[in-house]
Formats: sequence, structure tokens, C-alpha cells
Amino acid sequence: MATRREFLKASTLLGFGATVPTFLGRAARAVDTKASQDKILVVVQLTGGNDGLNTVIPKASPLYKKYRPGIGIPSDKLFRINGEIGLHPSLAGFGRLLNDHAAAVIVQGVGYPNPDQSHFRSMDIWQAGSTAKTLNEGWLGKALKSKPMPAFHLAADNEAAPLAFAGASARVPSLTSLEDFQLKFVAANKGDKAQQKKLLEDVSKGQPSEPSLLDFVRRTATDTYATTDKLAAIGKNYEPKAPYPVSTFGNRLKLAAQLIDAGIGARIFYVTLDGFDTHSAQGGLAGTHANLLTNLGDGLSAFYRDLKDRGHGDRVAVMTFSEFGRRAKENGSGGTDHGSGAPMLLVGGKLKAGVIGEHPDLEKLSDGNLVHAIDFRQVYASVLEQWLGIDSSKLLGEKFKTLKLFA
Amino acid sequence: MNHWQPYTPSAAEPWDLKKVGHLYRRAGFGATHAAMQKALADGPAKTIDALLAGGTVDDEFETTSAFMVSERSLPAGAPTRQLAAWWLYRMMHSPHPLREKLALFWHNHFATSNVKVANARYMLGQYRTIHTHALASFADLLQAMTVDPAMMVWLDTVESKKGMPNENYARELMELFSLGIGHYTEADIREAAKAFTGYGIQKGKCVFTARNHDGSLKRVFGTRSAYKAEGIVGLCLKQEACAKFIVGKLCTFFISDTTPPDAAAIDALAAEYRRSGYDTATIVSTILRSERFFKSYRQKVKSPVEFAVGIVRALEGNVGPLPLAEALEGLGQVLFEPPSVKGWDGGTAWLNAQSLLFRQNLALAITSTDDSRFGRRCDPAAVLDKRSDGEALDHLLVLFLQGDVPAASRVKLTSYLKTSKSLNAPPFWSADDVQNHRLRSLTHLVLSLPEYQLS
Repeated sequence: MATRREFLKASTLLGFGATVPTFLGRAARAVDTKASQDKILVVVQLTGGNDGLNTVIPKASPLYKKYRPGIGIPSDKLFRINGEIGLHPSLAGFGRLLNDHAAAVIVQGVGYPNPDQSHFRSMDIWQAGSTAKTLNEGWLGKALKSKPMPAFHLAADNEAAPLAFAGASARVPSLTSLEDFQLKFVAANKGDKAQQKKLLEDVSKGQPSEPSLLDFVRRTATDTYATTDKLAAIGKNYEPKAPYPVSTFGNRLKLAAQLIDAGIGARIFYVTLDGFDTHSAQGGLAGTHANLLTNLGDGLSAFYRDLKDRGHGDRVAVMTFSEFGRRAKENGSGGTDHGSGAPMLLVGGKLKAGVIGEHPDLEKLSDGNLVHAIDFRQVYASVLEQWLGIDSSKLLGEKFKTLKLFA
Repeated sequence: MNHWQPYTPSAAEPWDLKKVGHLYRRAGFGATHAAMQKALADGPAKTIDALLAGGTVDDEFETTSAFMVSERSLPAGAPTRQLAAWWLYRMMHSPHPLREKLALFWHNHFATSNVKVANARYMLGQYRTIHTHALASFADLLQAMTVDPAMMVWLDTVESKKGMPNENYARELMELFSLGIGHYTEADIREAAKAFTGYGIQKGKCVFTARNHDGSLKRVFGTRSAYKAEGIVGLCLKQEACAKFIVGKLCTFFISDTTPPDAAAIDALAAEYRRSGYDTATIVSTILRSERFFKSYRQKVKSPVEFAVGIVRALEGNVGPLPLAEALEGLGQVLFEPPSVKGWDGGTAWLNAQSLLFRQNLALAITSTDDSRFGRRCDPAAVLDKRSDGEALDHLLVLFLQGDVPAASRVKLTSYLKTSKSLNAPPFWSADDVQNHRLRSLTHLVLSLPEYQLS
């Protein structure tokens, strides 16, 4: 009978080494206390181009009032961060993570050279972590290739897998709900179902054998059945420790928290919040953009506090991004057009809480757009190196100067 | 020594159901019960001849297929899923499954995604080019793909102008389509890229515009000439590495995910490929007839498409291709949207907890008859036609696995059938309902056996 060690050796020869790390490779080791301490990255994509200037607001700037006569936020309504900037009040949930929990970071003025204002092209650039002409691989896909770990795309219905995960050695599963993760049977009743499930578990145990594809399938199946049991159990009993916003975004963050708390070993999660393309009727204190920020801020807040209460606060880091910011001057239809240079928000217990970088200078616009001072790949590089322990220069194609993101 | 010694039946290696099932899985998408019985009687040579030649043209199939992708049914902006559904329809019902299988191979080789191309007509055109040359000359195929509109958009040939050449196509032509890494230099790519300037698309066809083309001399592979696209492709085809690279990929596709043939076997096959003028049918024929091929039993993981289409073909069912295309997205294989220009990794990358679970749930959805997406058009109870329990189990195991399952699994399935006889069915079920329910459960269990994931 082959020992596990022999199997692993042989399986590498068989070429399994790179592909076993689906999330089950890890699930088998989930009881391992070290594995359950692994760091987790949650990437939140704000689709459509978030208006950074109405997210993190330069309170003393006379130009801000001038550029934003209709949708500007009065300075006395801002959520206070420091003497220079405040947050849109709808982001208070996020703001309190920074002020009260010391568990958040604002990175200001993030972008890349020669910003592209096509949603698709710019989104590709952010997801690939590259401005190369042709982009086929994502930055997270490359990260997973260099350091295989289980990951999930928590998707809306029919949401395609993001480019960000392309290039991973195993396809990152898109998961819409825990119900999806149930083994289904055509069964006359509960007893029948239990019998069928037992049979499948039994036939997957098989005989100890030489490493082979069949053995690989059996192990995958065994892990799958164990995971479905685990997910079924958590699905029923999960009581959030903090209230999530009632929204699909809130539900997906809650799902991420459930999966993290279940200890199945997933390390990277990808969630999107769509609707930021506010060309018209964006609103100021209230309205479309304010609602989006409430959803975002309250979602992040609930997610962090929920996980913190369960002892995972220091294991998790959330990073938000959007494909671009928006034009400094509001347009004639109460909205904003595509721009550049915008803040990124991060959440997590191990962050070095505070503000990084200066707010882009409203007196020094480029074609009416905010100018970036920090390259988004500096943020990626910092997350890769300081959080995931992955060498960033090979992955990003060059050495980007890291920021002091983590304490 | 003949590395590709043809297989001949012997007492030790008889022509049996296992070999028939193996052949039909690899050279197509599985077989019906009748097809397996016929192959068993015909022997390997005649069966392989028939697979290579394809069945007689089925007018109804061709008419439906053509209608599904007429310009009215499938405009340029049609969703990829509609095109994928059409191809699945072809795979499920084509009288020439080997040709569809080869088309799948070439689609993965020239992996082009409609995510970027964003034109279903272009993608359809590329499929047709692939289908035309699938079992014919690779040299013709490579030339045709170079000026294929979908490819030209996918790898930016349309953006490539004199003075500003885009290297994308030149690079992938060498790296992924013909030679493989290590058989060209960066200088070869830079020079070759100049040859691909001046090609654009008008009215859905490639057109050459001399004033946008860089007509200078290009140094590629140690030669120097005012190459155009065709000349560079011709140069690649002349390289020793080309035939080896392609037959290597064909071997992985047809023979084994885990054990590549040794270098000498590849060399022999590559030499044959060159002698035949890159005739793919010659190579596929040699592979399928070989001892090596028949020894590679269960050395591949089924792709999602093979898994799903195999179930439908075996049960002689007729499921709607659109919901099937949708379901396959969850399994990780979206036809016409491969993940990158490198195609799908395949092999063990197909299976993880979620995709295996989804495969089993899909098998259930197709065969349970109570899933609104698939309806009752692929009902195992219809195929089993009132067989007794024992006969039904034998029939299913032969149909899907040629009876090759561990004895312990067979015992478990038999005992499930026994206990499920006394199951507490809802009171409104008729005796037939109960029996059909048991047979559908049994089918789902058989399709969920680990062995069924393998080809």
C-alpha cells in the first residue's frame, strides 16, 4: 500500500502537483490548525468607475465646491477622517472601521500612466495588473499559479469569471449560493437520499492503489462529499455577528464569511458591486451614488465585525478597486463622466490603519481628470508581498515600490 | 522498432467491449449500445475505418444545423452561448463525431475567445475553417487561421500597421500554434511581426492593403526575404519542430493526460506527419490503430463537453443544447470562450470539488426527467424498457462503463436496488412511477461513479 508521502511523490511525476490544489486539496487539511490560520484576501470590484472625488473628499478645497455645484457634499456633512479629507457620509460604516477599529486604510490618488477610459480596457488593465497591449492572464490567476491555494469567485447569476483569475492552474470556481453546493438526488424520500449518498461515498473510497487518475478522481469525490456536508451544516446555522446590508452584495460578503468560518481553506475571494457608471443623476448626499456607498460601507463593516467576532479579524484583508475614477467637474446631467485617479479602500485587522498618499490636487488636473500619484500595482505588490507572501516583481513584470500597508 | 505498432486482437488482448468503449470515447463522444455491438462484430480495423470516414450524410441534421446559424438566427451580436449550443447540437447528433472531436482539438489549439472577438459570425467562420481542415492538411489550416477574421481580431493582426507592427500574432504563431517555446528567438518574432502588417477585415473577409504593409526584407530563422504573412507561416511549417509540436499535442489529446509518449515515438510520428504533407487524418489513423492507443485505457479525464455529450449520445436522448451550453459554463468549459490563447489546461484541471459536484448534478438534471431545463427527452427508463433490476444494472454498466467497475461497486449498486424496492414512495406514485424512479436513481449513481469521469 502506498503511503501518502509516496503518493505525493508519484503524483508530482504524474503531473498532478500543480493541479491538485483545488479547494479540496486544502479541505483535507482544514483541521490542521496552521492551515486555518492562513491569511485571506477578499477583492471587491466596484464595476463602472467609482467617483473617487465624492468618495474621499478634500474638505477645504474651494475648487471642489466649484466643480461640484450640484452633487458636491457640504463639508459639515462629511465623515471626519483628518484635517484635509472626509468621507461621503454614506461610507460611515467603513469610516468607523478606520477611526474606531484601526482596521482600515485609504490609499489616495491611485491609477496608472496614460489612463485608459474604456470600461473594458481599463478593467482588463486592473484585473491583469498590467498595461500590456494584450492581456490574457489575471494578477490573481498568476498569484494562484505561483502559490496554489483555493479561491472562490462569489458571483451574481450569470456573472462571468473575472479576467483577474485567468491563468490559474485550476479554474477558480464561481459560486452563487450555498444551495448550489449541494449534491442533488432524485430520491423518493430522506432515507432514499441518505442511502444514495452513502453509496457514492463508499464507491469513492475504492481500494488503496497505485497513484492514478482514478485515485485522483476518488480523492476529489471524497473531498467533495465532505465539503458539501460541511457547507450544508454551516448553511443552516450561520448567524451573522453583525447585520449585513440586505442586498446581493451583502449576501455575497456573508457567503464569504461563512466559507471562511467553515474552515474549508479558501484563501482568495472575489466579489463585485456593479452600478458605479453614474453619468447622470448621480445624486449628492442622497441618491444613486450614496446608496452604492452605503451598500459598500455597511457591507465591509458587517463583514469585518462578523469575522472579527469569530476570531478571523486578523486573518482577513479586503481590497476594493474600480476601473477608474470620474471627471472632476460634474456634467450637465447631474452626473460625472469617465475619469482617472481614485482612492482604494482596504479593510483588515492587520492593516497599518490610516491614510496613504495625498488627495489628488484639484488645481493640477490632466484633461479635467485627477492625476494619480500611486500606481495601483504598488498596492498589488504590497498585498502580494506583505500579505500573501508572493514575489511581486515576476508576477507584475517589474519591481513596484511597495507601500507600508500592513502593521 | 515500430513505435506505432498496430493493435491486433489476441488471446491476451482480445477485441472486447472495454476496447470498443475506449475507442469510441476517444475518437468521438461515446457510443450507443447498438454501435458497440456492431463494432464488436466488425473488429478494430473496420470500426476505425468507419470512424475516420464518418457516417452517411444526414440531411435533417445538416438542415437543422444550418438553420440554427443562419444570419437571421445568429447575428454577429448573438451571445456566445447560442453558438456554443449549436456546436453541442452538432456533437450530440453528427454522423461524423470524430471530425467534431478534432474540431474541438483545433479550437483548443487555436484558442480564440468571443469575449474579445465579440462577433458570433466571425467565430462561426473560424469554426467552419477548422471543421473544413480538421482531418486534412495542417499546413492549409495554419495558413487559413492566419487570415481568419476572428483570429485577426483576437491577436490584433487588424491593429498591426507598417511602422507599428503588433507582435501578438507572430508570437503566438510560433509559441502556441506551430513550434513551441525554445524554437524561435525574440528577434524572429520582431522581424516576423512586420510581415503581418497591412491585413484588415472588410465585409467579413481578410483584405490585404499594400500601403499598410511593411514590404521590407525580414530576417527570420536565418533567412532573408520580403515575406508576407503566407511566407512566414510557410517558414514555420518548414521547421523541424513544427510536426513534433503538433503530434505531441495530438498524442496528449488522444492518448494520455499523464504519460506522454517517449521522444522516439514522437519523432517517428512527426516524420510520418511531414511525409504525408501534414495530413492530420494519417496521424489520427496511426494513433487510433496503435497498441499504444489501446493501452492508454482511462488515462484521461473527460472534459465537461465529453462528459455531458457522452451521456446524451449513449442514452440516444435529445436534450436542448442551450440549457446544456449554460450548464457547461458551471463545469468550466465555455465553447468559443476558452480562458486564454493557451486554451483549456485539461486533464486534472477539469476537476475540483465544485466542478465534480456540478457534473454529478448535471448528470442528474439530464436523466431525472423532472428538471425543467432538460425535460423528459433523455430518459434512461425509456432505454431500459422494463428490464428487470439485474438486467437494467448490467445494461447501464455496459452502456457507460463496458461493465468495468470494481466488484464492490457493483455489489453496492445491487444492494441499493434491493433496498429501494421497499422504499416508502409517495402514495400517489403508480407502480411504473416507482420503477422508473428507481431506474433513474440507478442511472444517476452509475454516472456518478469515479470511473465515469475518466476516458
